[in-house]
Amino acid sequence: MKRRLFLASSLASLGLAGCGRVKESLTNGPFRGALLSTEKLNGKLIGTHGLAREYRDADVDRDFRVNGLATPSDSAYTSLAKDGFRGYRLVVDGLAERPQKLSLAELRAAGTKTQITRHDCVEGWSAIGKWNGVPLGTVIAMAQPKSNARYCVFHCFDRDDGGQLYYESLDLGQAAHPQTILALDLNDKPLDNDHGAPVRLKIPTQLGYKSAKWVSRIELVADLKPIGGGTGGYWEDQGYEWYAGI
Amino acid sequence: MTSEAVYRHSIAARTTHWLWTLAMLVLVMSGLQIFNAAPYLDASDKSNPARRVLAFDAQDGSPPTGYTIVFGHRFTTTHLFGYTDDGMGAETARAFPGWLTLPGPQSLADGRRWHLFFAWALFIAWVAYLISAAIRGTLREFVIRPSDFPKLLPMQLYYLRLRKEPPPHGTYNPLQKLAYTVVLFGMFPLLMLTGLTLSPAVDAAFPWLTALFGGRQFARTWHFTLMVLLIGYFCTHLVLVVSTGIWNNIRSMITGWYVLGKHDGVGP
Repeated sequence: MKRRLFLASSLASLGLAGCGRVKESLTNGPFRGALLSTEKLNGKLIGTHGLAREYRDADVDRDFRVNGLATPSDSAYTSLAKDGFRGYRLVVDGLAERPQKLSLAELRAAGTKTQITRHDCVEGWSAIGKWNGVPLGTVIAMAQPKSNARYCVFHCFDRDDGGQLYYESLDLGQAAHPQTILALDLNDKPLDNDHGAPVRLKIPTQLGYKSAKWVSRIELVADLKPIGGGTGGYWEDQGYEWYAGI
Repeated sequence: MTSEAVYRHSIAARTTHWLWTLAMLVLVMSGLQIFNAAPYLDASDKSNPARRVLAFDAQDGSPPTGYTIVFGHRFTTTHLFGYTDDGMGAETARAFPGWLTLPGPQSLADGRRWHLFFAWALFIAWVAYLISAAIRGTLREFVIRPSDFPKLLPMQLYYLRLRKEPPPHGTYNPLQKLAYTVVLFGMFPLLMLTGLTLSPAVDAAFPWLTALFGGRQFARTWHFTLMVLLIGYFCTHLVLVVSTGIWNNIRSMITGWYVLGKHDGVGP
């Protein structure tokens, strides 16, 4: 009888879960497909509506928590840092009619906006920072995306112990959200090296790992599959969701 | 003594009952996995150690010590909480042990995947059950009404063996009605809503909801508290399943048929 089967399978799953030893095969098999479609569904249902709450100066965490990969220590980064990032150019290229190479002065001249927003880490903690920077939409518009561009990929200076470079991506809708900015300052001071100097992404409507630090290049692409592990970001390649609004 | 059998639980009620039993188990275990990534709860919007309700900690040493800190009071809980099973046969600094989390070893990404999938399972079971109960009319049998309130104390006295007979009631007694109403219309929706407010995109779309719970970290604290309360309900439920005719109760939740007898209306 069907219900006996159902009960037996429920009890089997209970037993399996109860041991806390759920086999890889279960997580990576058809079950993984169901879990992945849930992530897509969540992304479609929630999307990019509304504005993240903005706070008062008094709410700011002066000592903003540092998390993520270690501050880059290779010469490509340290030589730029030593010079106060005077030689830094943010490259915006890929599927762009007018690829850009922007200095920090040019970025500031494009018009900055300040937001005091909460940073929600996927680990569960939250911190409030005062971020000042250029709306990402402004910078993308300067590069004039070609009609087949769908995503912007953020290539970063930081790498993990295995040498894998950090990267992240957003679709152009998420990039155009008014609170999605390329931050230059944190708490009224230029970003320090540990917080992603000289330019980092800040997107308060998604979890912290989307807010890539130490951005060196923004690439406009039609498809995320050819990049990195193919899932759209460093943490995404380790099993985290690409849509991090949840 | 009568042994008349009644068809009490519809196929929809039985299916959803076992579905949310499974969903709750996976949600608790994967939730503890997620909790382990930031093993503390604050009664505030952002993380704030000054408003810490619960925390777990480990201290180096030989052997290392695990601590559970509740409202600033520190308890040594080595091997159980704080410094415990890593899910791979050894021990490590970790809030909840591997045998309580899903998956066992530390994996926030997998924990989130299980949690968000079974959150949908719970939601669907909840909606399906309420619709079927409304159609069948059983909703009326277990939703508490003002006329049940005066009977709550006599019923509790009966359970405590301080009264010989339970107060007169329908299919379910007033305490059962109170429990079912609170779980189905209070705790389940609150559990889902507090869970949703942990999502930054939901916070942006419905900021009033997050504010209602006192902010994001406070919502996380409520979410955890509701889990503890539901486990409390589950334990009470199990005690009553066992003490009021375990086989009759379990059979009725599998086949639907419940044999009336001396425990009728005082069950789980």
